[in-house]
Amino acid sequence: MANISVVTKKRILDTNDQEAAKTREAFKEAGLFAVNLISSPGSGKTTLLEKTIEKLNPEQNSAVIVGDLETSRDAERVAPFAKEVVQINTGLSCHLYANQIQESLKGLNLSEIDFCFIENVGNMVCPGEFDLGENAKIILLSTPEGDDKVAKYPTIFRAADLVLLTKCDLLKVLDFNMDRVKEDIYKLNSNVKIIELSSLSGQGMEEWLSWLKDNRTSFIGAKAKFVTE
Amino acid sequence: MHEMSIAAEILDQVIEQAKVNNLVRVSEVTLEVGFLKQVVPELMIIAFESITTDTIVERARLKIVEVPSIAKCNECSYSFEPKINNFLCPKCERADVNVISGNDIILKAIFGEVKE
Ligand SMILES: Nc1nc2c(ncn2[C@@H]2O[C@H](COP(=O)(O)OP(=O)(O)O)[C@@H](O)[C@H]2O)c(=O)[nH]1
Ligand SMILES: [Mg+2]
Ligand SMILES: [Zn+2]
Repeated sequence: MANISVVTKKRILDTNDQEAAKTREAFKEAGLFAVNLISSPGSGKTTLLEKTIEKLNPEQNSAVIVGDLETSRDAERVAPFAKEVVQINTGLSCHLYANQIQESLKGLNLSEIDFCFIENVGNMVCPGEFDLGENAKIILLSTPEGDDKVAKYPTIFRAADLVLLTKCDLLKVLDFNMDRVKEDIYKLNSNVKIIELSSLSGQGMEEWLSWLKDNRTSFIGAKAKFVTE
Repeated sequence: MHEMSIAAEILDQVIEQAKVNNLVRVSEVTLEVGFLKQVVPELMIIAFESITTDTIVERARLKIVEVPSIAKCNECSYSFEPKINNFLCPKCERADVNVISGNDIILKAIFGEVKE
């Protein structure tokens, strides 16, 4: 048998990115705004979704896609508020893939939905590598995790379209240097918006809801313009 | 964990390329890894070895070529090599850049036996 060398130029993750591009197209078509929520486990993603969707109702309909290694507890928590909920159990995988989102969307009537919230598997590293077709990546950092986490997980913060500093009601009992965190984020991504938030006290909720609505409007506006051109 | 998810993607690509090129056995894989991917070569090799068991890529050597990162400032177009924690343009003192190199993982080459 002969030995040969094959020279390629294949980008790894191309397949995932292509799937994600299809999803992004479908979202655009349906005029819905999709966000990918990324954080470590326990930083308050599900709690924030419960509060957010409750406030968006009844004017806006939301769909939630939740990725967890096991259980459907998060899906059950958001079910009373959301129009559609899909739970994905990833088993051994520490992040969601674009094709899992594609599958989840199959059963949904996208034209009835205004916002799609994707709660990724709790992990600050791998989800950043896998595009899901979202319009924005939102990174949550809860204050009890510590003010050194931006420096420790810089890549995910560099990819962020919005950073939510959650559980700010706890700041009074924590030694958390807000300036340091903002400075660390500025060094990675000087344009990114940062919102100080608490699902418990409601701090920052208005700002967060406005961010969602404004971004959806400009996304849909862009679509309307695109169509008339 | 990070290396494991990427290793699985690499294996898929290697097997696909092997099929297309009629390789029945792969003995070497060359990978270009961008600095910003934060891949630890030793961990990647271990992940790759564990995942290739019972495939035509079993026992293949994984060669990793590291690619440095280059960022270009969106304000002043200056190009520089960012640090993992610092993307501030040395001229503008703002991190508003376009990463032009070091953000990809590319399967460069595979070497192996071809069916005759
Ligand atoms: N003090 C405080 N606790 C919160 C807040 N948001 C969530 N939590 C608590 O943090 C824990 C984890 O929240 P959860 O939403 O399940 O996090 P997830 O794993 O990111 O989905 C729960 O015990 C929540 O009650 C908040 O704004 N303030
Ligand atoms: Mg949760
Ligand atoms: Zn500059």
